[in-house]
Amino acid sequence: MNRVSCGQFAALLLITDAFALFCLMGNVSIITACGFVTGVILQFLISIPTANFYKNGGTLKSSPKPFAWFYLIYIVLWGGLLFVMLWNASEEITIPAEKFSLIPEKFIITGLIAVTCLYASSPGEKALSRAALITAALGAVCIAVIVISAIPKSRVEYLADLSCSDGFFSELSRGFVLSGGLGSFIVLLGFTKGTPLKSAAGYFIGKAVLFAVVPATAAAAAGGIMEITDFPIITAAELSQPFSSQRIDSLFLIIFVILAVFAISVQTVTASYLLSTVIPSFKRFRSTAVLAAMTGSAFLMSGINQYSVIYSIAVVMAAAVVPLLMVLSKRAERRT
Amino acid sequence: MRTEDYYYSPIITDLKKNLEEIKRISGGSTDLMINEFVCGGIDCALLCCEGMLSTQTITELIFEPLMHVEKKLNSHELFKHIRTKLLLSIDQPVAENYGTLFRTLNSGFAVLIAEGMNIALAFGVQGFAMRGISEPSGEANIMGAHEGFVEVIRTNISLIRRRLKSPFLVTKLFVKGDKSQTDMCICYMQDRVPEKLLNQIKESLDEMELESVLSTGYVRPFVEKRSFELFSSTGTTERPDVLCSKLIEGRVALLIDGVPFAIVIPRLFCESFQTLDDYAFKPYYSTFIRWIKYAAFIIAVLLPSLYIAVATYHPELLNSTLLMILVESEAKAPLSLMTEALGVLLMYEIIREAGIRLPKPVGGAVSIVSGLIIGDAAVQSGLISTPLLTISALAVISGYVVPELNPTVTMLRLGFLVAGGLLGLFGISLLACAVLVNICATEDYGFPYTAPLSPFKKGGMRDTAVRTGFRRMQSGGFTVEEYHE
Repeated sequence: MNRVSCGQFAALLLITDAFALFCLMGNVSIITACGFVTGVILQFLISIPTANFYKNGGTLKSSPKPFAWFYLIYIVLWGGLLFVMLWNASEEITIPAEKFSLIPEKFIITGLIAVTCLYASSPGEKALSRAALITAALGAVCIAVIVISAIPKSRVEYLADLSCSDGFFSELSRGFVLSGGLGSFIVLLGFTKGTPLKSAAGYFIGKAVLFAVVPATAAAAAGGIMEITDFPIITAAELSQPFSSQRIDSLFLIIFVILAVFAISVQTVTASYLLSTVIPSFKRFRSTAVLAAMTGSAFLMSGINQYSVIYSIAVVMAAAVVPLLMVLSKRAERRT
Repeated sequence: MRTEDYYYSPIITDLKKNLEEIKRISGGSTDLMINEFVCGGIDCALLCCEGMLSTQTITELIFEPLMHVEKKLNSHELFKHIRTKLLLSIDQPVAENYGTLFRTLNSGFAVLIAEGMNIALAFGVQGFAMRGISEPSGEANIMGAHEGFVEVIRTNISLIRRRLKSPFLVTKLFVKGDKSQTDMCICYMQDRVPEKLLNQIKESLDEMELESVLSTGYVRPFVEKRSFELFSSTGTTERPDVLCSKLIEGRVALLIDGVPFAIVIPRLFCESFQTLDDYAFKPYYSTFIRWIKYAAFIIAVLLPSLYIAVATYHPELLNSTLLMILVESEAKAPLSLMTEALGVLLMYEIIREAGIRLPKPVGGAVSIVSGLIIGDAAVQSGLISTPLLTISALAVISGYVVPELNPTVTMLRLGFLVAGGLLGLFGISLLACAVLVNICATEDYGFPYTAPLSPFKKGGMRDTAVRTGFRRMQSGGFTVEEYHE
């Protein structure tokens, strides 16, 4: 795998986080933003040993194979969950796939996105990271437009209304579920050009801003209808109309789909790399196999509550426990 | 007869047999002229290709001095005398085999062979008809020079040399094309060019085993990556001043004899939006024009597809007045919006192709027929709606703002149109992702096509996002190596 710059690394991961955040279901309030940001700070703290591990010359490839297997399975499952999020959110956003009436809409959306992801991941992580940087910049502009145009619709009392929140720890857990991209973070951190800790800090700063601004804006703009909305971030985007005589929420679809494609492609490229590490003889159709596994897992997970505590535990495992085991294993290896 | 059958065969010393062999290889071609004479007591023959050399020059510079060699000499002494005592021409290559002999002969050299000699002397007396230096047809500018490359490689080299008098400018001639034996020239500034890039290009050219090299399109695939790329990672220019600016930035240029274009390696996406005029105007105006070009590119690619997608699937994006206008005009049209748009764009491509290939007077008539008669009649009869025609015309005209990208833009426009027509903004977004990844994957010799945007290079943005003044740019000493990954 080629090395990526600090900016590209942050862009690759922030796209995944932004997509997961856009697909957020359930109520949001200022407590949500606080819980999410606290989660990001915790994630940064628990990533420090991994950053040091890479800084001291450790690699995932040289670590025992079960670690790579763990991340492979984890990333495939996270990719599947991204598909589930997409299916759920596509009910809220107009995707004109109904004209192909013979095939269910869900299959068409999945198929088209999977084919695009397959193409996007085929040139490798170098091209994807360059494209991700442009996409992230485009996404940042779109988010800025949405946030700015949401200001006239926002009310301070919505922010103060904490009744719709399940509490700080529940939001913290939800924030961890949205941070499923930490599996890719652990893998890609070993391929950053600069200091791993600096790259990680850059990414987590961006993530903290994203996880603070977007839920806070959504709470302020859509607070009045929070009880009746399934997707608060999408609803907030729909409410945030910069023009008085026309609606622009369909344009949100563009950035939503682009984020979906890149979020899944990042997982595909990372999983494909891991697949080559654990099964070196598997040389062809790796991305296809990974995408097939992701869509398969998506169908299996489609009925499950995606904000379950189990997912939070899985994220903590990927971000903290397994990296810690990797560090210990490296130390033990040095001693022997 | 194959080229390898004669190419490396040594020249026969017996003049008669030698001439027979030359006639045999050339198949008795009528443009091969053989003048037999005696010089210094030795039987000689001067070979030349009809129409390729100047009769006046050959008489004054070759025949007259040769006729004045009076003392008796043997063959070797005669050739030595000619080479050292007679200044017949500046360019005097020696041919030791029939391959070199024919290549020089067919390049417009006069070739002298003599009894008892296994070499041939060639004299540069070219005088073939050629087009004069004129203004480039495709890269016109207002404030810059009005000279463009011509079909003669040596003239093109001189056009570059006139602008770059530095001894670090290196031009190296070589021959490619088994049958065409085309002269090619690799140009670079030896103090600026990345050595690795130069070596890699040379290696790529070594792999080229073409029968003929008749245009830049023959060579470009060999110096580009093999995978499918929508945009070309090598560029062409027909302006010597533009080429000089690229050479100073450490790029490599390839000139081909018979082609008035130079290939520039590597090429970046942002360079397609830069013209020499940008550096002649005030920076604020150049920056404004550059952004106009970026906008034109987006309009050229996306406008028809966005129109179809919005009008068909997302009408809420339009304000009510605009929506009513569209509804009213489309209500009369018998075809679906996508079919209409595809029809208009394909029809335009047919008309454009007809206009290019036909003689100029008839080409004008095609424009009148297509623009006034077909266009007007189609709208009047209600076959095509006026808004769609306006949108298509805007997209097509915008495509010509960056002529170099026009072929790619045309194909992308049609692709996005189909995607938008079938799946609305969802389809456009998916295709946009694929195109973006394709552009970002375009890379040759480690130079990303999307630099300096991604990978982001702050220094490069001063001539990409804006055009800063020369006072700032002069201190840069920029070379393309800064973009290498």
